[in-house]
Amino acid sequence: MKRSALRTTVALGGLAVVIAVGCASMETAKMSPGEAVAERQKLMKANGEAWKGAQAKAKAGDLAGVATEADTMAQNAKKITPLFPPGSLEGKTAAKKEIWEKWPEFEASAKNFEMEAGKLRDTAKTSNKEATDALVKDFGRKACGSCHTPFRVPPPPAPSKG
Amino acid sequence: MTSRQTVSLLALLTLAVGAVIGLLALPVGGAAPTPAEITRGKYVFGATGGCGCHTESGNPPKPPNSGGRKYEGPFGTVYSSNITPDAKTGIGNWTDEQIITATRLGRRPNGERLVPVHPYTVFNGMAAEDLRVLVSFLRTVPPVNRPTPPKKLVPLFESIALPAWLAAFAPRENPPAAAPTTGAARGEYLVRAVAHCGECHSPRTLTQATDNSRFLGGNAKGPEGAAMPNITPDPETGIGKWSEEEIAEYLGSGNKPDGDVAGGLMAEVIEGTLAGYKDLTKADRLAIAKFLKTVPPVKNRVEQPKK
Repeated sequence: MKRSALRTTVALGGLAVVIAVGCASMETAKMSPGEAVAERQKLMKANGEAWKGAQAKAKAGDLAGVATEADTMAQNAKKITPLFPPGSLEGKTAAKKEIWEKWPEFEASAKNFEMEAGKLRDTAKTSNKEATDALVKDFGRKACGSCHTPFRVPPPPAPSKG
Repeated sequence: MTSRQTVSLLALLTLAVGAVIGLLALPVGGAAPTPAEITRGKYVFGATGGCGCHTESGNPPKPPNSGGRKYEGPFGTVYSSNITPDAKTGIGNWTDEQIITATRLGRRPNGERLVPVHPYTVFNGMAAEDLRVLVSFLRTVPPVNRPTPPKKLVPLFESIALPAWLAAFAPRENPPAAAPTTGAARGEYLVRAVAHCGECHSPRTLTQATDNSRFLGGNAKGPEGAAMPNITPDPETGIGKWSEEEIAEYLGSGNKPDGDVAGGLMAEVIEGTLAGYKDLTKADRLAIAKFLKTVPPVKNRVEQPKK
């Protein structure tokens, strides 16, 4: 009796995983390269806003606010790699082809971003201002930069005030 | 000979041997630098962007200063030199003066000219004291035995084209008696000579010399094929809308006012290797910002090249 219940649970669990993975890959597969470019640019724009917000809030001493912004980035980080289907270099994208040539490194960079954002969120939650400021100081270079430096053509000059 | 005389003789011999060993241990070129001089040298090293051209990028990164980074141009192909203190493949056997001569005049100890990918016409504007401490720091970096791949230059480049270009076209910075210490003058010194911003950010003339009439006006075809932003104070195509505080923040952290971060070669020089722009003091970063605000604005929208 117990064993059959376990078997059913495992089978159902397995089915759920298969469906979930299937849906996720269908979702990505459905996306055209152009759509992927548009979606990831939206995601990166949101990250830029969150990072800008985190810096402003750190300066203002609003650590709870920093934690919220950092959490947004940590959640967004999980969405990065599926938005880079092979060869999605259509239109106005700053992605470099090296992304697909060095995919494991690219994945590691996205993971690094997720971990750094999580670290910033968790540190900000402890209300330790000094430790949070120390992370904020290096975050741009270490979290965003680990991907942007090798895998992105620097954005068009003519930088404007955000 | 009495035993006392023997002891004295032995003591003298020990002293003499000790002195010889001591002299040999000194770096070629003079007295050992103090820790403060080495620290100052590291600061200058950071202000150049960590002499980043001399470290090959990659994952994992190659040892700092061990050279081998490839540069291609109308002149042919060259590789940055190993500038670690390795005696065989680096600059371990060069005197301080020889290293300084190569840095600012572009001449090797054997008289050969360096290809000006190494921007000696700009480094010529560095103060003597800054070059001296920079050399002291370079000698403290771990030596790496890594031969620099041979250069492949187009015919007659070294014998005719380069000397002619240097004489006729290359603008040259001139060294101040001492490095300015504050304000826009300090910023100008750092921008022009040490951080060599114009090498990437100034457009180039037909002869590939930097076009200083459009100083820092951006270069669509910059080093390694990358487009280099216009960093003059033009509000539409340059960084006129950035405040001095924002420019200083960017140089120290890579963070832009709009939430983006530095990428590409700029990220490399901000991060540096053993030190970079990020290690500049806030006062120096603000001095750079102050100077950048005084540069004549150039209207030049730099477009990204096609991938």
